Amino acid sequence: MAEPTSSQTSTSRLSDLKDKVGHLPFIRRNSFVYGSLSLLVLYALFLLPSKGSPEAVDLGRIILFCLLLLVWAFIIFTDELKPEKMKTITVFSIFIAAAWLYYRYSTARWGEMGYLFFNLEMIQKAWPTLVEGFWTTLLLAVCAAIMSTIIGLLLAVFRSFNNPVLNFFIIVYVDFFRAMPIIVLMMLIYYALPFMGISLSAILSGILALGLNSSAYVSEIFRAGFLSIKKGQIEASSALGLNPIQTMRLVILPQAFRVVIPPLVGNYVASAKDTALASSISIIELLKAGLSQKSLLANPSPLIFVTVLYLVMFVPLTRFSGYLEKRMKESQRQVNL
Amino acid sequence: MKDTETMIEVIELHKRFKDLHVLKGISTKVKQSEVVAIMGPSGSGKSTFIRCLNRLEEPSSGQIYIEGIDILAPYIDVNLVRTEIGMVFQSFNLFPHLTSIENIKLAPMSVRKISAKEATERAMALLEKVGLADKADAYPEQLSGGQQQRVAIARALAMQPQIMFFDEPTSALDPEMIGEVLDVMRTMAKEGMTMMVVSHEMGFIKEAADRILFLVDGLIVEDGTPDYIFNHSQHKRTIEFLGKIV
Repeated sequence: MAEPTSSQTSTSRLSDLKDKVGHLPFIRRNSFVYGSLSLLVLYALFLLPSKGSPEAVDLGRIILFCLLLLVWAFIIFTDELKPEKMKTITVFSIFIAAAWLYYRYSTARWGEMGYLFFNLEMIQKAWPTLVEGFWTTLLLAVCAAIMSTIIGLLLAVFRSFNNPVLNFFIIVYVDFFRAMPIIVLMMLIYYALPFMGISLSAILSGILALGLNSSAYVSEIFRAGFLSIKKGQIEASSALGLNPIQTMRLVILPQAFRVVIPPLVGNYVASAKDTALASSISIIELLKAGLSQKSLLANPSPLIFVTVLYLVMFVPLTRFSGYLEKRMKESQRQVNL
Repeated sequence: MKDTETMIEVIELHKRFKDLHVLKGISTKVKQSEVVAIMGPSGSGKSTFIRCLNRLEEPSSGQIYIEGIDILAPYIDVNLVRTEIGMVFQSFNLFPHLTSIENIKLAPMSVRKISAKEATERAMALLEKVGLADKADAYPEQLSGGQQQRVAIARALAMQPQIMFFDEPTSALDPEMIGEVLDVMRTMAKEGMTMMVVSHEMGFIKEAADRILFLVDGLIVEDGTPDYIFNHSQHKRTIEFLGKIV
């Protein structure tokens, strides 16, 4: 029974409109939509130039077609009375039209796509190097995460003592490493420090740069976690005779960890993505492995494979950290209620 | 008063927050098993006074003796002093990440180093006493305000303190929950606990308090029995204040 009433109300809205304007505006008529769409399709099929790089006049016709398509979509999208289904179809047809135009007029060699980008034979040849690169990336990410957690947590704990001198140094540290681009930091550690008598291996330099950068963010995350704990919690602990270390260990840290985990996971994911920068200091991690195999085999397939691998790794992780954040917000709302 | 040993002695206590002179020289004595209520208009320094006594606030000057020990002396371990004084706050301040029983066990196990088994037994006995034995495994957010405050009292008692401080224990509670908290406090008073209570619960004070300190602008303006303060006080500010809250 729900459907007839809804269609009734929509016809009554339409008839209201009719009464107001005297007659239905022509762009609101379905016959206009279907007619103009078929006109656009006919135009594209018969009047657009067929293939190759178009000349000035042809280019004008292509642009005109795109404009007409956009105007058509605009009319449908701004009309509240048009059904959702029609809008969905419009979105898809625009994408299909754009892809079709690109396919038709780009100078890409479509026949060789499979050989160039999705060449399993090449990926197989590159496989051992890629696996090695993957492990290096993982090593960088995990070591940087551990290092940043330890340094960041310590800094946040020291910061919570509220000693002005200590705070000054911590603020300088945090500002410095947050402002410094990771790639610059890597270059400095790897190429400049040897002149000061500190020669670190490439991998160690990479871990150090990533870890130092991330630790600045981690310390801020932990600090926010500590600040979220109410003063009363610390007073209650003191009143029970807990010393500052016990208060930190038994009362503040367990509570802070709950608040801190979602942003912390988000930070680890971001830091893991930054491992790709380590390719700039000759570390053969996933990206560098893909790049070197691309050059060696003269085929971009390994690089495409690496891209897909990054997506496969990081889409779930970013989703996961988003999920954690959402869950924490919900549980906080429950506490506040 | 069966035992007249002095538990708390305060001499010329001053407290300044930067430019603000909150306590302007408070001197008083509290005997063992005495229940002292602290009353006064807001901003008179009631909470600051009680918080100075276990050094949650550092006094600016003056002397405080707890069981005859000068707790402001430099060699004093303030945490040791605090284990002798239980404190109950207006906002309960239970640890939200721990269940009721874990809240109670935390300090005895970490500060007094008693075994988990003994701590559990002691905590269960205390929960029984405050009437919440069935809520041992509930988290604070699952408890009502009155229940939270009773757990907070049990938590303070778990350290087996000689003295209990209550800083407006019922001010954050709905009227129907005030009774259950006051009942627990009444029982403690009867059992001979030395108590200092910042509160305006007239019924409770009349019945359970031995003395009332009336604070105005950081000074004790009156010190007497509830009967004297409520019925025979000559002091203008006291009469004015009592007239407002009744």
